[in-house]
Amino acid sequence: MSAILYHGEPNGASLTVLAALAESGLAIECRHIDLLAGERHALPGISDSIALDLGIEGEGPVLVADGEAMTESVFLAQYLDEAAGGAGLQPTDAFARWEMMMWCRQITERLSPAAALLGNVASAQAALAAIPAEGFADITASIASDDLRERWQALHDGRIDAAQIADSEAKVAAAVERCEKQLVDGRDWLMGSFSIADLVTYSWLAAMEPLLPQAFTAAPRTQAWLARTTALPCIQAAFARATVPDPLRAWAPGPEINRWG
Amino acid sequence: MDEVTLYHWEPNANSGKPMLALMEKGVPFASHYIDMLQFDQHKPEYLAINSQGTIPAMTHGSRVLTESTAIMEYVNDQFAGPDLMPGDAQDRWRVRWWMKFMDQWLGPSFSMIGWSVFVGPMVRQRDPAELDAAIERIPLPERRVAWRKAISGNFSDSEMAESRRRVGLGIAKLEEELGKRPYVGSDQYTLADINIFNSTYSLPLSQPDLAGKDKTPNIMRWLKRVYSRDAVKKTWAMGKTDLAHRYGLIMAEIEG
Repeated sequence: MSAILYHGEPNGASLTVLAALAESGLAIECRHIDLLAGERHALPGISDSIALDLGIEGEGPVLVADGEAMTESVFLAQYLDEAAGGAGLQPTDAFARWEMMMWCRQITERLSPAAALLGNVASAQAALAAIPAEGFADITASIASDDLRERWQALHDGRIDAAQIADSEAKVAAAVERCEKQLVDGRDWLMGSFSIADLVTYSWLAAMEPLLPQAFTAAPRTQAWLARTTALPCIQAAFARATVPDPLRAWAPGPEINRWG
Repeated sequence: MDEVTLYHWEPNANSGKPMLALMEKGVPFASHYIDMLQFDQHKPEYLAINSQGTIPAMTHGSRVLTESTAIMEYVNDQFAGPDLMPGDAQDRWRVRWWMKFMDQWLGPSFSMIGWSVFVGPMVRQRDPAELDAAIERIPLPERRVAWRKAISGNFSDSEMAESRRRVGLGIAKLEEELGKRPYVGSDQYTLADINIFNSTYSLPLSQPDLAGKDKTPNIMRWLKRVYSRDAVKKTWAMGKTDLAHRYGLIMAEIEG
């Protein structure tokens, strides 16, 4: 298999996949791309692009394997785990797997879009607004997905209203509450054993702790879990790929907020 | 531990997914029909099983499982019978990608259209006070909003236009995919086929401008291949509507 992982700074979806790759032990070449410069939409050598063009996650990492562009961080983490012959990132018991997938879906459907919106407003919006009009038009013209292009445009134009911010803050707080409840029995990891659920949840929540500290004040178990996860070698390996001093402040347009709420 | 009970509506969309997966695996199950149009899914008897009030739900012994795609994955992992996931890791990735594309991108657009032309008008004829009380019993706030919109026909023009755009694009991409390989995401029949079949078998009737023998020959050949499976026939026979008869007539026109 010839494969290259194109990734942004280790935060959000890129963080999940970089950490899963480190955990898998697979030797896959990693190439950093500047997501806010639109580089994800100009990758070379792709013969099959449907997942890149129509993925739901937004500006997540892209694994190009045998000419096929693969996206969606949870599924890429599963792929890396399985391609390595089972790296211990997924439970083997069917019910435990169901629980893990249900947890991951809650996170990617509710927390990820909310965290991406808050993170983008806090740090990516100014960078996008500073791109000259012509350069920005070139970027949006290279994006195949109408709905992803619209999220870039809305962020660029500052069309994010107070209600969206409040809704996103409530969703982040709800995710923290969910973690706190899950960890109440003193377990170290969200599903009992360490799994993709820890990687995915950490990848979207770690950057929220400095951005929305009030959501974490009554959540000591979640704070301890974040610290425990930060210390993992696979997370440290992912952070080592950062090209900026604070990768948790690096964002690009993320998943869309569920159209039915 | 052995007892499997499935709470489902018609063998269609989300309810149809675990029904078909269980049938393909040959797992016997007790069927519990939940009439969505009578709001059975928000009644106390059902909320005692699934407090979210969503269908389908499945119990396996003392375990309660929800979310149709995740239930199918459990059924495939837990029970003996034919494997409904491919053996190759990249094929498995592709199967999961297509299921998410349907569940979170294309499916909500199908259902927005379906609700505005079918579910809304059906339930709108009832007593408004009774409907209001029924909506108030819905546990999830976003489902309350969706039901209110469906019942009052309040989807905005831009929401409906976006749903129609997605349906058109989604059908075109599925047609492309089925030109590359015989099944969705791989060369074998998998959970992705079950997932997508349940939301697309009606397209030749519901979206004749977008899908049909001439416009989407790959989709039509695939629909027929899936439709001919014994498990589909047995599952459709569990419905209370005339699905099997209506679609049998369309399929007869298509070359296999």
